Amino acid sequence: MSEATLYFIQQLINGLTIGSAYALIAIGYTMVYGIIGMINFAHGEIYMIGAYTALIAITGLATLGIAWLPLILIVALVCAMIVSSAMGWAVERVAYRPVRGRHRLIPLISAIGMSIFLQNYVHLAQGSRNIGFPLLIDGGIQFGSEATFQAQISYMQITVFLTTLVCMTLLSLFISRSRIGRACRAVSQDLGMANLLGIDTNRIISATFVIGAALAAVAGLLLGMYYGSIDPLFGFIAGLKAFTAAVLGGIGSIPGAMLGGLILGVSESMTSGYLSGEYKDVVSFGLLILILLFKPTGLLGKPEVEKI
Amino acid sequence: MRISVKKLATAVSTSVALMAAGQAAAEIKIGIAGPMTGPVAQYGDMQFSGARMAIEQINANGGVMGEELVAVEYDDVCDPKQAVTVANSMVNDGVSFVVGHLCSSSTQPASDIYEDEGILMITPASTSPDITERGYELVFRTIGLDSMQGPVAANYIAAQNPDRVAVVHDKQQYGEGIATAVRDTLKDKGIEIAMFEGITAGAKDFSSLISKLKQADVDYVYYGGYHPELGLILRQAQQAGLDAKFMGPEGVGNKDINTIAGEAAEGLLVTLPPSFDQKAENQALVEAFKEKGEDPSGPFVLTSYTAVQLVAEGIEEAQSTDPFEVAEALRSGTFQTPIGTVEYDQKGDLKSFEFVVYEWHSDGSKTPLN
Repeated sequence: MSEATLYFIQQLINGLTIGSAYALIAIGYTMVYGIIGMINFAHGEIYMIGAYTALIAITGLATLGIAWLPLILIVALVCAMIVSSAMGWAVERVAYRPVRGRHRLIPLISAIGMSIFLQNYVHLAQGSRNIGFPLLIDGGIQFGSEATFQAQISYMQITVFLTTLVCMTLLSLFISRSRIGRACRAVSQDLGMANLLGIDTNRIISATFVIGAALAAVAGLLLGMYYGSIDPLFGFIAGLKAFTAAVLGGIGSIPGAMLGGLILGVSESMTSGYLSGEYKDVVSFGLLILILLFKPTGLLGKPEVEKI
Repeated sequence: MRISVKKLATAVSTSVALMAAGQAAAEIKIGIAGPMTGPVAQYGDMQFSGARMAIEQINANGGVMGEELVAVEYDDVCDPKQAVTVANSMVNDGVSFVVGHLCSSSTQPASDIYEDEGILMITPASTSPDITERGYELVFRTIGLDSMQGPVAANYIAAQNPDRVAVVHDKQQYGEGIATAVRDTLKDKGIEIAMFEGITAGAKDFSSLISKLKQADVDYVYYGGYHPELGLILRQAQQAGLDAKFMGPEGVGNKDINTIAGEAAEGLLVTLPPSFDQKAENQALVEAFKEKGEDPSGPFVLTSYTAVQLVAEGIEEAQSTDPFEVAEALRSGTFQTPIGTVEYDQKGDLKSFEFVVYEWHSDGSKTPLN
């Protein structure tokens, strides 16, 4: 393989890694939107709290002297998912349920308030500095060695891919096969009708927030390890990017969120790889504007049929 | 009932106003503005600790012209918008002397307000040349300029005879300014600049940038910016197997870079102000910091101490608390301070200030190289 091809592959790997993590976060936006037609602006903070919980769990295990990597990762993952899910549930109870059914702006504003509250809470509780994540998964596979450039896929990147793949498969199965999944689909089609037919819509809405939050926690752990440091503000940017991914793929559509995440990740890494890192955000948000202009429902979104 | 509450309120507010007026006669307010929170708060800690110590010691020695110095502290989070808000509250609070701000991008907009409102400002940390380029009368600093620091770094890199050098910055006033100075000096010396590129401050994923650096096959990477981003770049570069030497300005020379980069911080090159806390004549002061349980070795602790001292000596010299007269006294005088002999030029820059190249270690210590 020539050096140019290797370089392209390397940037593709970089982009797909970050893109699959965006997709995990984007699921939370898209599911909530699909069901209640609202954007959960506190979702980025849930992801950030997931990362912090995972780090606290990892540090805790390290103090206890436990060094077996799979155990550390599983405990961190479970802790992060539990805490984030609880947060997701609480956000829905505090910031959404009391104002559901009011003017659309009201839940939007209460969600932004929630987001600011959570950010500042972590500021106070954990300090505002960047905290380093311990290096748990090191090394990688080198391939296509040229004299000047060799491509590498790190074990961490493989972990991100595989975990995302597993989560997405489980989610798809859950939505298509389980009782709650079926109820979710029914509620997203018509909330009022689903209610009349005996579905506990409050429970289903809570479940959506919880599922989205749990996936965000997975992304928090993965990206915390992949990047190497976390701070209370890093949920904001990730949330913005994931939201873009969700809109890009068609908000409300789960496969759309996955596709949107991957496209956004790859377009970012290709821009900084071939143009300049300075244009990264210009290109990804430019792409969003173009798609919204020519296909307002996003890539895989269905046109909204006015409910009568 | 209602009337009595009103009366009470009037009484309280009158007495508060009287108290405030009474205090104002016997004290000189020193506004200290810097990041108490946010990603670069540790530099703010250095600044506040140095300035507080100076105020404490000056007051213990009888104050300035018989009046006591009082610190009024403000948090600008190193955010230009917040800095403007802080500057406006200084005006409202009747502060005439400011020690701050820290980040160049905060100092610049805040200094516009100070100059307009007749407030004297001494920044202990902002190195952007633009700050003193506007012909302002009331703007001073107790630190060198990027235009001094950049060439020190560039000369060091050039002396190692590298084949190709990349210069990366965070697109902020401080980072881009210093990166430009480094690039220009390297170009003058005939060294090939393989890349000159900006990243976004606050970004966390640098994998694309690192792949690009790898492909460009550079020997040296100069980074203009702060430690949160460089820490991640170092860590991710080590993981991706990028074999290049990194160098940065004093904005990255902070122990926090070790908690982010870990082992990858070993061998990082940093230009820093000389370690003022190692100078023999400062040992009494260093002891005073240690007694309070504070660390005087940070780059901005003694520059902040000096800034407060200069305000005090300027007032004594001018025998006035009028900021314009104090500014005149600072320009014409020579002062003995913990950072050495201080003399100002017309712009408010130090006539001499020296930067030193250090090698940073993964345990947070550093060794001087030149």
